[in-house]
Amino acid sequence: MKLILNHIVKSFDKKEVLRGASFAFEKGKIYGLLGRNGSGKTTLFNCINEDLKIDNGSILLEENRVKRELCPDDIGYVLSTPVVPEFLTGREFLKFFLDINMKKIPDIKPIDEYFNFVKIGMEDRDRLLKDYSHGMKSKMQMLVSFIANPCILLLDEPLTSFDVVVADEMKRLLRQIKKDHIIIFSTHIMELALDLCDEIVILSGGVLENMEKDDLSNEAFKDKIIQALRKDEND
Amino acid sequence: MIDTFLMSFRLKNAYQTNGIIYSLKSIPVIKKLLPVSLYRSPGLKRLANFVSILWEIISTFLSKLLYLFIMIFLLKDHMKSSPANSFMHIFFFLTVAGGFLNTQIFDPTRDKYYAIFLMRMSARKYMLSNYFYFLLKIVVGFLPFTLLLGLLSGIPMVICLLMPLFVVSVKLVFTAFALHSYVRTGHAKNENKFNPVALIGIAASLVAAYLLPFLGYAINGAIFLTLFVISAVMAVFSFSYVLKFREYRSICKELLTADSFVMNRKDMAARAVQKSLQTNIEIKATSSKSGYQYFNDLFVQRHSMLLTKSAKYITLISLTVLAFSITACFLIHEAKPVINGMMLTFLPYFLFVMYFINRGKVITQAMFMNCDHSMLTYRFYRQPRAILFLFTERLKSIIWINLMPASVLAFGLPLLLWLTGGTDNVLNYVLLFVSIVAMSVFFSVHNMVLYYLLQPYNIGLEIKNGTFSILNSFTYFVCYFAIGKKVPTLIFGTLISVFCIVYIAVALILAYRLAPKTFKLR
Repeated sequence: MKLILNHIVKSFDKKEVLRGASFAFEKGKIYGLLGRNGSGKTTLFNCINEDLKIDNGSILLEENRVKRELCPDDIGYVLSTPVVPEFLTGREFLKFFLDINMKKIPDIKPIDEYFNFVKIGMEDRDRLLKDYSHGMKSKMQMLVSFIANPCILLLDEPLTSFDVVVADEMKRLLRQIKKDHIIIFSTHIMELALDLCDEIVILSGGVLENMEKDDLSNEAFKDKIIQALRKDEND
Repeated sequence: MIDTFLMSFRLKNAYQTNGIIYSLKSIPVIKKLLPVSLYRSPGLKRLANFVSILWEIISTFLSKLLYLFIMIFLLKDHMKSSPANSFMHIFFFLTVAGGFLNTQIFDPTRDKYYAIFLMRMSARKYMLSNYFYFLLKIVVGFLPFTLLLGLLSGIPMVICLLMPLFVVSVKLVFTAFALHSYVRTGHAKNENKFNPVALIGIAASLVAAYLLPFLGYAINGAIFLTLFVISAVMAVFSFSYVLKFREYRSICKELLTADSFVMNRKDMAARAVQKSLQTNIEIKATSSKSGYQYFNDLFVQRHSMLLTKSAKYITLISLTVLAFSITACFLIHEAKPVINGMMLTFLPYFLFVMYFINRGKVITQAMFMNCDHSMLTYRFYRQPRAILFLFTERLKSIIWINLMPASVLAFGLPLLLWLTGGTDNVLNYVLLFVSIVAMSVFFSVHNMVLYYLLQPYNIGLEIKNGTFSILNSFTYFVCYFAIGKKVPTLIFGTLISVFCIVYIAVALILAYRLAPKTFKLR
């Protein structure tokens, strides 16, 4: 399975943010999307998630050599700032989510199993989400993105809000589920990208570019990435 | 200090100019015509700048004129005391109330935050220069109108000339006291926050301002002059205290933190709503439903403090008023024909009442703040089916909540009509009932549909949609103008009922067609 971006153009008023971005993301890999502040990472995600209409180009999903348009159920999108309905408890939110997605989720498990999966403790499950910590809200948001089992996962700076232990848990979790998903992970923390991701893609000057590591050392690879990101300045 | 002032004035002007351009850009049709580069365009900038300065000048004079004219000049003739004495008396006490209300220095505004913390201007110079500008505006703005309206009321010219200076003196004295209390307690009082002492002071001054002359007790010229001299002497000392005061920066630090930082009164109201929207969650509630019904059920129950309780209070108040009117019918014989006449001609007035007691706007705000602003980021929540399903559920809840107080009126008005002698045409009873119910449902639908079609809020509950503001003001004015119009219930009742039913039908069709596209985050 592949997510194929074909020459995507997106402008706001006269500012062209994406200038013909093309790429093919494959299943089974975690892609690290690196870009400078304001380079358009979130815009790209919003375009893929159809929150923004693209001005030109196409976004298609290729399955068994057949290309088709994306549908809402294909995508799970985790935002950098977690947003959850604060008036529900964790358990109620999950129940509500499972209720309305019942037909789409292949094998619904008991709610507590989902909590175990992201390691949210017994004592927290029946508390209002309003009283959850930032990290726990993020976990809930990730959880509902995972449960519906979309084939594409867009993660916008997801690990920055976690403490080191939870961040490590989440990394393991992503590695665990990557074989069935196309995971695109945006960040501007290079170490995180190098540590977790199988491929590094940079968004610079409105286009996507794959960074081949070849047989470079980690340091040399970092330099190569920074050089590539610097190009933006010269544009 | 003059440099600091000019700089701060230019700064304020710059963002007011941008504010004018921004609000131009939020009006539907005009928005399309204006490019982003507008903020750079020198011509338009000059125009907006001109408007901004013009506004500063007009507001200096106009606000004072309106204040003196409406709050004092128009009312002075209704007092037992002489017009001149009433004028001086009301002016005196309202000025004292103003001292409690606003000293400028303890008013946390956006200007101060930008200048002192972002631009790193000297706090003392900034505060003092702007404070003196504020006092100057008082003198210049008041002088022509205290002269004009004062002389017209028969006040000696000397006193008319001294009145603006009296206001300045009172401001200075109150400011010095507030600064001194900061030194004493180490705590800066935010003027826009609820403060019981100030509130009592304001209430007492207001009562003294209007009740005393109404009963025939008012100060005369001699007393006014004496009080002026006392306040002027105190003001001299206060002035030197304000000038020598050193801790403006620490006051600003306390006033202009993120939490207490309030841009203006409107914003404060929004923030207060927001706060009440966020805190009152009652976890006890449960629901046996499922899916979106479960979700909506929990939402309504968990926010009952905000959603249903106030509707219940309004219901109680309506019941009390109704009981009072019924008692009046039995006790006072003359009341009967008056109330009977009202029932048959005063229905337009109830358009405003229904507008006023409808909780729709607060409910949609609560929906946004506590639910939609987070849930709309989830894609499943934005699916047309989900939006429409929840819309229906919510509409039921909102109509139900608003029907609580409306039902008291819907049954009460025909009852009153019957008790006060009834009418020949039975249709009047029916129309009173139907039109009240129709109006209640109309406002519920109106608020919900506007919310779903325009979704005007951002996270701070600021309205980011020009169309929404325009439609809201339009609704308000229509309802407001209905006040006092005497139209036979037969005609008005029929018209309003038919209008409501047609509107509800059209609005719902529009909402079902368009809401899936329009209901989104800004």
